[in-house]
Amino acid sequence: MNRRSVIRCLGCGALATAAFQSDILPEILGGIQNAFAFDYAKNLSSVEARYYKKLEGGGIECGLCPRHCRVTDLERGYCGVRENRNDTYHTLIYGLPCSMNIDPIEKKPLFHFYPGTTAFSLATAGCNVNCKFCQNWDISQSRPEQTNNIDLPPQAIPPICLENKAPTIAYTYSEPVIFYEYMYDIAVQGKKKGIRSVMITGGYIEKEPLKELFPIIDAIKVDLKSIREDYYKNIVNGELKPVLDSLVMIKNSGVWLEIVYLVVPTLNDSETEFHDLAKWIKSNLGNEVPLHFSRFHPQYLLKNLPPTPQKTLETAYEICRAEGLKYVYLGNLPGHPAESTYCPQCGKILIERRGYKIYQYNLNGNLCRYCNQTIPGLF
Amino acid sequence: MSKVVVIRFSSPILAKGQEKEQYKLMLQLGLRSLSGEDDIKKSLRKYIPAGVVGMKTNCLARKFNSTPIYLCDALGAILIEMGTEENDIIIWERTGRELEMAGYKLNASSFGKRCFGTDTNGVGYSGDFYNSGDVNSLVTRILTEVVDSNINLPVLKDHSIAGLSAALKNLYGAINNPNKWHGNNCDPFAAHIANFDPIKNKNKLTIIDAMRVQYNGGPGYDSRYVADYKGLIISDDPVAADRIGLEIVEHYRKLNNLPTLEKAVRPAKYLKSAEKLGLGVEDITKIELTVSAIDLNGIAKSTKLFDE
Repeated sequence: MNRRSVIRCLGCGALATAAFQSDILPEILGGIQNAFAFDYAKNLSSVEARYYKKLEGGGIECGLCPRHCRVTDLERGYCGVRENRNDTYHTLIYGLPCSMNIDPIEKKPLFHFYPGTTAFSLATAGCNVNCKFCQNWDISQSRPEQTNNIDLPPQAIPPICLENKAPTIAYTYSEPVIFYEYMYDIAVQGKKKGIRSVMITGGYIEKEPLKELFPIIDAIKVDLKSIREDYYKNIVNGELKPVLDSLVMIKNSGVWLEIVYLVVPTLNDSETEFHDLAKWIKSNLGNEVPLHFSRFHPQYLLKNLPPTPQKTLETAYEICRAEGLKYVYLGNLPGHPAESTYCPQCGKILIERRGYKIYQYNLNGNLCRYCNQTIPGLF
Repeated sequence: MSKVVVIRFSSPILAKGQEKEQYKLMLQLGLRSLSGEDDIKKSLRKYIPAGVVGMKTNCLARKFNSTPIYLCDALGAILIEMGTEENDIIIWERTGRELEMAGYKLNASSFGKRCFGTDTNGVGYSGDFYNSGDVNSLVTRILTEVVDSNINLPVLKDHSIAGLSAALKNLYGAINNPNKWHGNNCDPFAAHIANFDPIKNKNKLTIIDAMRVQYNGGPGYDSRYVADYKGLIISDDPVAADRIGLEIVEHYRKLNNLPTLEKAVRPAKYLKSAEKLGLGVEDITKIELTVSAIDLNGIAKSTKLFDE
């Protein structure tokens, strides 16, 4: 796919996503497959992966995420997108996104990061966890052979952003940790052109590779899926502790941080959990990190559960505000007052949002225009 | 009781240019022995109904140690003799790339035996998830919609995580998310994958290629740990076939002063889980094993599982 056709694709407003190759192609492109020339990548990439070590006696151990997969020749790690070839570990999805779009930054959601701007958003196949509620499972739980990938090397992305007036690149939809090398190189290319990068992640990453991202990533949104280890084990297929460690590291690094908590009925929606969540955030990250409670919709392997009741989300909101968190939001409830930002000092509305749109903006730089209270974030 | 037949080739090497015929002799003897039928057509028909027949290969180890093309050719020839249309035979793997790297020529046309991966345009995976235990996966449409029956054609190998890669482990190639189910030595995941309805119901026969056994360093190829067993393991019970395969892998490990798979921290414990799910027999005392040797001239005799 050349740059021009990417732009045309974006102009159609369609999510150039992939899902599974096969006869469902017309469906996934929303019937616009003839609107632009698509050249799907024919091969997987074979760029050497970072953060792995060779093992005595053969095989490698991946050090990118806390899973530390040990992978023998011709096998792949849990993510499904890294393969051992003769004891050299390769990323198979470098330069091969399967999903991209231009989104409002509010969709990430990042509410204290250049509100009202857009982000060129992309993802590859694969993920290092397997959440039972995943909303993008058709790409995150796929191997790259199962998605339609587009040839898009890192250096091709900043010009697309500039032409489409997108000041930010978002690594999102699946889990950018698993396309680390690609993300890293895009962010470096973006920096050269003054384009910001934001990472939308589950935070399940080892310390060293995370630290290496701080100089080139401008904001990170972490999906903190629960404050309970057993939820991570049974619903996420991951671990809580490394995610909490990542949150603390990000906060201490100075990279802008926001947190999303998807409230899943009966699984992580008790008042005790909301209290524990707020207390942990306040103690470890401070009370100014924005926290978004997001409404669950039945998806993937949890189709048996109902959408999160509005009342539950409002309870979570009230508890966290009462615990002292200053910026708590409710998501996937378009038009709800808790989508907006309020000044913690004077209580007046600073940014009025409905869905992903902004209707009022009452900040002067980082200051409340009514009382001069400093609002954390990048505005 | 489950029945497993092992056919060993008693001549020193597979004669160049005669490999397909040798495989055919072994298959004919093995299928007759397994079915108790003298007529080869009747013996295969006992397991494989009329219609489209799949052959699930294992091409992970590329040309070095994948399901031999000769085996597919020989089996295809028997199926055609049995009345199966050539185009109703489908040799398949999860990707076309893997088939090609193992030396297969892809063919999705209406002529000749078909050969393609699930990633072929127009194939893909089922629209709905299949579940067993905690395992949730999409299953290749080759099994859910295309074939009427399937013959599983794995290669006998050690596996760095599962311990054993043979019949059950080869079925990971039928699902969309195999990398998610390798924890705990693939137990009970390998059993649950084999328990998905379309996999369990369509798989009628298992023929494990044990010509060259990768008894350590698998599932890729490692020339240091390959033994020329020159055998095929045939059964309509995939668990029992695997159990006999495990004996062979352990035999060569012992012969080469390697620790048992248990001591190597990769016991093939998923076989017991498979038995619990009713997929077959893991208890070796309940497996009726017949071992025969056949030579270049097709002369067969009874023999033992291992050489003295």
